[in-house]
Amino acid sequence: MRELALYLAAAAAYITLGVAFPDLLWSWVEGTAFLLLAVWILPSVVRRLR
Amino acid sequence: MSWAAHDLEPYAIQRHFGRRVAIVPLLLGSYAPDMFSKWFVYGIEVFNIELKADDPVQFHRGWPGVGFTHSLAFGLLVAALILFVGRSRIWAFSFLLGHWAHVFTDVGDTIGTMLLFPFSTETIGIGAWAYAGQVGRELDAGAYFSGLGFVWDGVWVVYGLLSWRILKREYFRETIVAADPRFWGWLGRWLPEVALLALYRASFFYGTTRWVAWLIWAHVVHEFPFDLSWGGPGWIPAAHD
Repeated sequence: MRELALYLAAAAAYITLGVAFPDLLWSWVEGTAFLLLAVWILPSVVRRLR
Repeated sequence: MSWAAHDLEPYAIQRHFGRRVAIVPLLLGSYAPDMFSKWFVYGIEVFNIELKADDPVQFHRGWPGVGFTHSLAFGLLVAALILFVGRSRIWAFSFLLGHWAHVFTDVGDTIGTMLLFPFSTETIGIGAWAYAGQVGRELDAGAYFSGLGFVWDGVWVVYGLLSWRILKREYFRETIVAADPRFWGWLGRWLPEVALLALYRASFFYGTTRWVAWLIWAHVVHEFPFDLSWGGPGWIPAAHD
C-alpha cells in the first residue's frame, strides 16, 4: 500500500506540475527522472535522515 | 501521431505475449519512428536560431523525408540488424512488435503512414483524427486532446489500468526479468530493485499522467472545444495527404 501511495502521489504531483508548466510533459527522460526521484531517491533520503 | 498510445501499447503487448517478449525493445520499437524526428517537426530554438522542417508533414511522414521510419520495412530492417548484430531473437521480435504497433496506430490520423515503403510512397491512413503537427506543438496538443485521438489513447489508458497486475512486483520478477535476464541483471548491478521497478513502470506512468494532464490543460486551463467527429476537430487546419 505504501508503494501504491507513493506512485499515486507522484502521479498527482506530475499532473499538477504538468498542467502548470506544460513544457514538463514533453520529455520522457524528464518524466522518468521525476518518477525515480519521487519513488526511489526521495524516500531513500528520508529513510536515511530518520 | 499519438500522444500516449506509444507509451502504453507495449504494456498491452507484453501482457498478451508474456515471456515471449521483452519490454525494453518493445518500448524502443514503439518510440523508434519519432525518436529522432519529432523535435524537428515542431521546431526548437537554439541560440535564437529556429530549427524546424520547412514542410513538417512531408518531413515527418513523407518521402523525401523521414517518413520511412513509419514503414513496416523499417521495423523489419532494424529487427534484422538486432538479430544479426545483437544475436537476440526476443529483442528483435519485441522491437518489431513495438515498431509495428506505432506504425499501425499512426494510420489513424489524417496523414497516415507509408506502410509499404519502399514499394510505395503513398501514405495510408483512415483519417480518424487530425494530424496537426505543422501548427506547432501546443495547438497540436489542444487539437489532439479534443478529437478522437485522445479517445484512442484513452482506450489504452483504461486497458492498462484494468491490467494493473502487470505492474506488480511479482509480475516484474516472474515475467519481465525472466524474459530478459541479461538486461535486467546488468542494470541490477547498479540499481536496487525499487529503481528497476520504477524504470519498468516509467512509460506507463508517463503515458497515463500526461494523458490526464493534457486533457486538463486543454479543457480546464484552456477552452479548446471538443469535436469527436471523424477527422476532427474541425476547428484545426488538419494536414491531409
